[in-house]
Amino acid sequence: MSNWDFGRLRLLMESLVSKDLKVRYKRSVLGFGWFLLKPLFSMIVYYFVFTRILRFGGAIPHFSLFLLTGLLPWNFFSSSLSASTSSLLDNHRLIRSIYFPRMSLPVAEVLANLIHLVLALIVLEAVLIIFGHTPGLSIILLIPALILFTVMTAGVGMLLSVGNVFYRDVKQFVEVLLLAWFYASPIIYPLDSIGVYIIESPKLLQILKFNPVAGFMEIMHSILYAGTWPAAWCWVSLSVWSVMFLTVGLAVFRKAEPVVVKEL
Amino acid sequence: MKPGAILMDNVSLAYRLYHDRAVTLRETMLNVFNRSTKTEMFTALDGVSFDVEPGEALAIIGANGAGKSTTLKLLAGIYEPSSGIAETGGRIASLLDLGVGFHPDLTGEENLMLNGSLIGLDRNTMKDLIPEIADFAELTRFMDTPVKYYSDGMFMRLGFSLATAVDPDVLLIDEVLAVGDARFQEKCYERIWSFRKKGKTIIFVSHDMNAVAKLCTRAVLLNDGRIQMDGEVEAVLSEYLEGVRSKHDAAAVSPKEWGTREVWFDSVTLRNVSGTPSRIFQKGEKIIVDAVIKTRLSGTVDGVVFGFSLHRPDGETIIGTNNLEMNEPLLKVSESTEASIEIMLDVEEPGSYILGLALTDPPAHKDYHWQEFFYPVTLLDARIDPPLRLSDVTWKQC
Repeated sequence: MSNWDFGRLRLLMESLVSKDLKVRYKRSVLGFGWFLLKPLFSMIVYYFVFTRILRFGGAIPHFSLFLLTGLLPWNFFSSSLSASTSSLLDNHRLIRSIYFPRMSLPVAEVLANLIHLVLALIVLEAVLIIFGHTPGLSIILLIPALILFTVMTAGVGMLLSVGNVFYRDVKQFVEVLLLAWFYASPIIYPLDSIGVYIIESPKLLQILKFNPVAGFMEIMHSILYAGTWPAAWCWVSLSVWSVMFLTVGLAVFRKAEPVVVKEL
Repeated sequence: MKPGAILMDNVSLAYRLYHDRAVTLRETMLNVFNRSTKTEMFTALDGVSFDVEPGEALAIIGANGAGKSTTLKLLAGIYEPSSGIAETGGRIASLLDLGVGFHPDLTGEENLMLNGSLIGLDRNTMKDLIPEIADFAELTRFMDTPVKYYSDGMFMRLGFSLATAVDPDVLLIDEVLAVGDARFQEKCYERIWSFRKKGKTIIFVSHDMNAVAKLCTRAVLLNDGRIQMDGEVEAVLSEYLEGVRSKHDAAAVSPKEWGTREVWFDSVTLRNVSGTPSRIFQKGEKIIVDAVIKTRLSGTVDGVVFGFSLHRPDGETIIGTNNLEMNEPLLKVSESTEASIEIMLDVEEPGSYILGLALTDPPAHKDYHWQEFFYPVTLLDARIDPPLRLSDVTWKQC
């Protein structure tokens, strides 16, 4: 079907994303507010756990703000992956009765979550400024960082959506994976000298840098929380992982698409 | 590819068919050790070729599982052929499953906007179309109601109205015309007819032989994923009905044949007045039964009664009579005799019926040869043009 030109595709994406946003908050009083409230609540929980019980959060000034700069993008990442994993299966009747580019389904889930993330980040930035974390020039790097991270999330989402059609375990697996992934990512701790102090193993810290989301989380921390220029390794990591996941995601999705339609 | 043209060139499509399918990884792991899950390749279509000119109305008929819906899905671009080429030119409207893209929590209008983008309409075009779509579906008042509050009928009406709102070059219809009440169905058919008149290509899958014969000029008969016949609609329908008969599938009204066979039907042909063998008869058209009757008795058998009966598909007898009852001449059958019955019916309810024939001699209590529930026939109702004629009109001024 060659008549799906760019304009048509853009329109389809807009519609799917706006459907997603509308549907999510129908009959919900707080509506979009939940996207702020969820990380806020988890921030409060983590804050108490890591300052009152495990007591390492005290090493980081304004630990709650530090937490938020990581929790918001993490929330985007995990919500996007959960939603895109089941996106093909949830729309099986649609897929089997009209032709349209099916890749738009997992990608639309990621984009809908991106809109939330951007709005939440604006609110966070205001709070950060109030507490004296004035951003530096490095804030302009937020845009390329977000683009790269979205590309990576979409790539992983495509892979998972296809996998879930063949094996329903993928959905369960993603939940467990995300739990482990969260603690393996520099969200509640940084990867710098303080991280060494918290984790007490510089070797483990080096290994954690290979985590695909580590680079992005560190970029968020340095741009938003510290107001410094992100380290070069973060950019290398983020770019390499993004390109890799997108390439693999696209290739697998394209290859699997004709089979997926029949398996649904 | 010309808009409205369709090409199927040696198309095959295979599915993986699961027996006791493993849907979780664990099951797959277990099955590595004991192979209880078997998969086999199931060929839904096997070397199917046909092409359709713009403006043709083609029916695809065949038994369940013959590959009709698969063919439509290929033409709609939903499936990719395992081998061969399937191409459709121009804009396609597919009526495969109505209202599937609707989200229950969104209102009628929101759903129309969303689905418009799925079928590739830009926002302004869609906005302009909405009043018309709502009006045709008779749902103008309910456009701001979430569709989960719609009845099934309303839901389907909106789906149909949307799917046919834009002039397509090709219209793919899969048995979805049971939309709403009889009056709305009539409206749906009218709309489909208007596409037909505008010279749009129509591909129609249905088990309703009456609808097929009315709408289409050509038919493709599929049998186990292969083309059994491709040709003029009436000829193909006859072939299909003949096949259904010979399959002996419906137990209650399966064709039965019995008798002493002292006198028997050697061959029977159903034809229309022009002499073409047919199983489909227009309103007002005579059904002519030509029989070659033979006997194994020596000499001539006198006083043979030649009867027929017509039944509904469920076996209920509607008409049954013979030449004795109607005071027509009885048959004298020698070695090989040709006889025919010309049946003229007033069709009140068009549809599928079954014709049975018999050779008997009631006074001698002899049943020579019965062919009960033997010949399926389809009786059509004609669209009469013009449907109204002015018979009288006067003007007065008082």
